Amino acid sequence: MIEFVNFHLVPGLVLGSIYALGAIGVTLTFGILRFANFAHGETMTLGAYFTLALIALTGLHPLLLVPVAMALTALAVLGMDRLFFRPLRHGPTIILVIASFGLMLMVRSLVQIVWGAKLQTFSKGIDLPWVLLDTLRIFPKHVVIIGAALGLMAAVHLLLSRTRAGKAMRAMADSPDLARLTGIDTERVIRTTWIVGAGLAAAAGALLAYDTHLHTNMGFRVLLPIFAAALLGGIGRPYGAMAGGLVIGMAEELSTYPWIGTEPLVPPGYKAGVAFAIMVAILIWRPSGLFRGRVF
Amino acid sequence: MKRILTAAVTATMPLTMCLGGAGAMAADVKVGSAGGITGPIAELVVPIMAARNLAATHVNEQGGLLGGGTYQLVASDSQCDPKAAVDAGAKLVNVEQVVAVLGANCSGATNGMAQSVTIPAGVVMLSDSATAPSISELDDNDLVFRVAASDAYQGRSLAELAWANGYRALAVTYANDDYNAGLAGVFEAAFAELGGTITASQVHEPDKASYRSELSTLAGAGGEGLALFAYYGSSGITILRNSLENGLFGKFLGADGMMDNSVIEQIGADTLRGNIMLSQPASDTEDVSYQAFASAFEAAGHNATSPFVAHSYDVSFLMALAIEKAGAADRSMIPAALRKVANAPGTVIRPGEWEKARAAIAAGEDINYEGASGAIEFDKNGDVAGTYSLNGVGDDGTWTTM
Amino acid sequence: MDQLYGIFLYAVFLLTMGGIYAVLALGLNIQWGFTGLFNAGVGGFFAIGAYVSAILTSAASARHLGGYDLPVPAGICAAMIASALVAWGIGRICIRLRSDYLAIATLGIAEILRLVLKNEIWATNGARGISRIPKPFEHVAEPWNQVGMLLLVFAIVLVLYVLLERARRSPWGRVMAAIRENEDAARAAGKDVERLRIEAFILGGALMGLGGALMAHHIKFIEPNVAEPVSATFLVWVMLVIGGSGNNRGAIFGAILVWTIWSATEILTTRLPSEWATKAAYLRIFLVGLALQIILQKFPEGIFRERRFQTSAASVHPPPFNRENTS
Repeated sequence: MIEFVNFHLVPGLVLGSIYALGAIGVTLTFGILRFANFAHGETMTLGAYFTLALIALTGLHPLLLVPVAMALTALAVLGMDRLFFRPLRHGPTIILVIASFGLMLMVRSLVQIVWGAKLQTFSKGIDLPWVLLDTLRIFPKHVVIIGAALGLMAAVHLLLSRTRAGKAMRAMADSPDLARLTGIDTERVIRTTWIVGAGLAAAAGALLAYDTHLHTNMGFRVLLPIFAAALLGGIGRPYGAMAGGLVIGMAEELSTYPWIGTEPLVPPGYKAGVAFAIMVAILIWRPSGLFRGRVF
Repeated sequence: MKRILTAAVTATMPLTMCLGGAGAMAADVKVGSAGGITGPIAELVVPIMAARNLAATHVNEQGGLLGGGTYQLVASDSQCDPKAAVDAGAKLVNVEQVVAVLGANCSGATNGMAQSVTIPAGVVMLSDSATAPSISELDDNDLVFRVAASDAYQGRSLAELAWANGYRALAVTYANDDYNAGLAGVFEAAFAELGGTITASQVHEPDKASYRSELSTLAGAGGEGLALFAYYGSSGITILRNSLENGLFGKFLGADGMMDNSVIEQIGADTLRGNIMLSQPASDTEDVSYQAFASAFEAAGHNATSPFVAHSYDVSFLMALAIEKAGAADRSMIPAALRKVANAPGTVIRPGEWEKARAAIAAGEDINYEGASGAIEFDKNGDVAGTYSLNGVGDDGTWTTM
Repeated sequence: MDQLYGIFLYAVFLLTMGGIYAVLALGLNIQWGFTGLFNAGVGGFFAIGAYVSAILTSAASARHLGGYDLPVPAGICAAMIASALVAWGIGRICIRLRSDYLAIATLGIAEILRLVLKNEIWATNGARGISRIPKPFEHVAEPWNQVGMLLLVFAIVLVLYVLLERARRSPWGRVMAAIRENEDAARAAGKDVERLRIEAFILGGALMGLGGALMAHHIKFIEPNVAEPVSATFLVWVMLVIGGSGNNRGAIFGAILVWTIWSATEILTTRLPSEWATKAAYLRIFLVGLALQIILQKFPEGIFRERRFQTSAASVHPPPFNRENTS
């Protein structure tokens, strides 16, 4: 039983929090700009590598530098929007998807040119967990990650419910035409969307790297699970995305628990397929997601 | 036509040498250097390319090829993907008109490039890292050679080393790629044959962020340690970290895909000392040949323990020896020459000893190249037998032979 | 002389690969260009075709399913049938999904398929792949073996082109275009939209399977990585978009042009010093991405515009992708 908590439940929560942060950005861009942004995974990668560069520069603890990396990533993404998405904004949305696919490759190759293809970590060595009651193993970094993710989600909640920009975003996600009619500055809302989405993605990337390591493919590896989370939660539903992220993260980790007999329920070679399968299933049977998001 | 021309060049060469015009007359010799520069093992390929280039530098600094010509390696990206490898091979063989090809790193890429391009074109391919047994089975007209031993050798050897070190029950996990999956299969069969028990065996998908749940299932099955077949970068370090941090496994065995200083750097020498054993092709760190290579490679600012780099140096140096021995940059003469310079008997040549080799070849002697990765002797398939050493973390915090 | 002969042989390789990609691009053109189905899982159909033909035609091996020793044409036909069947299955459940959703679903399915190919070792030899796949004309002396393969691929492309042009002009093709432009109107006119879409999806899938089979025979070796998304899916999309979607000539021309750029730029980067050669490989991918962005912004219809039917005299031609309001 304790195995279950140590190796499936807690890692599932950690992975789920990271997916949740990533999924908020996907769901917001999908809901407001109306396209599936394939470059979102690379935004996460960028956030992680910015943090790495800042650590090399200042020598401070990664967590102190994450906010700076979030700001840098948001700036970079605003630049990408200006160069590659804005000129296509009034054309068909599908062209935006293809553009984001191209941007994904561009960002990844830039990261590979600048930082190289080698696996890297924020800090060296291993760190040992606190052991409670002789069996329960809790890692300080996991507490930090879950805490940071909860904090960021709370901030998103405040932004969306209390601020003008947040309300405008929700209005845009619900009904763009109506929002335009009521005089909302759409370009401004789009900018806010990119800043929020990119900032959270950068944080997710940095936290993923803090838990494990940095790799130039790290963003693409989690892109599909994050899409799955966003779809599960319902497109344009940030709270749904948080829930969806947690569900997908838990499902991946719990799928390899030996629920029946002693063998893992899903053979580990297929573990990566769990999120994909959930995603395809949602698309087919309930495209509006659990939280009744928009279906375009 | 081509043959007549080369024959004419070969015939006139001694003459031009006598006249002292060799430097001006000698043509540069192009050899393809194919590797997975981008793709899943990109990080391993950076030092591999550097090692091949180091051998070329040694050749060129000590008089060059065929009487003063430059030994020129033409890099090409096989991406670890057979599609890309065929394209890369077609460019090397046809556009660059290379005499031979080094590489192409991954077994799949090597397989595709060899069957579709180099074998039909009659070009020798000398691989430094393709370990798949299927490569021995190709109908290759004696055109595919490799200095990396087939997995069949290393898997068995590691099993024997594990048994000799007192392991009787082991859990196994391997990355789902061509290199590691093959190795694990051979290891499991050999270890069981010796009388050992494989408590559990699990494949894992490389490049995942964590392997905690997989490892906990493996640990649940028991075992004295974990036999870990993975590339250090894509999943090896993560698995070591997850196992140690969670107290799942404390002892590890592995193969040369794990052998890199960054493993020690990332996990910590004190944590690993005495707890990890890795087999490596007997580039026995005490060996003179290995030392000659390692010190030159480290002096050039690279990490000599990175997987396959000793092999990479060897393929590049061996190819230069073969071309020199053949006496001409002629594709058809390389296969026979390769055997003459690699296999015993002959004057022993070690990494970096180009001047000595040149003199010996000029004197008509055969060469017996004792490489950084071992005493290379090609069999009829163009394969080498592998002998392996066991390595652990030494007192100085680097990989040391035990 | 040698140099010229070498460049000729390289051109043969280049055009063979370009031709195989042209088959894939033609398949995608049926799905996307004619019908407006965003299939982001091209690599999946490609892999099915490659594996089916490889398993049926290669010699027996203890490592994977095989030993049926069928002739290559039979393998290729079986590959097309198998991919068509899979396309039918996927089409049945996914065809209702619109653009982005279909893209994500097909991408997910293609990735699951790649996991299956990697894990079902008894059938596919997993990550170690299938070797010694027979290649047409391989026993003829160089260079005629390579030229023979090129002619075969081009003959196939030509036949497909003629057939697809006829299909495009046929009533079936006109209905397809009508569905893409205005689904509701087509439905109102009594067309079974769902069924026609599935037909297009199946036809496109069969061509992708054909492309996969040709690739397997050309490179004589396959492994799950040949279907990885960048070179098996994304590149095909770039080819079609640059060539001009909706136009068969555009698909063929785009495939050959993009493959030439993709492949030939490496000849330049290898001239760089070796430390830069590694970075140059990444730079190449960066530049291909950038070229795509420029084409999307400056020439959104691609090099060859779609040739349209006169539907109504008053309508200003919309861009070929205008589908966002149909849902």
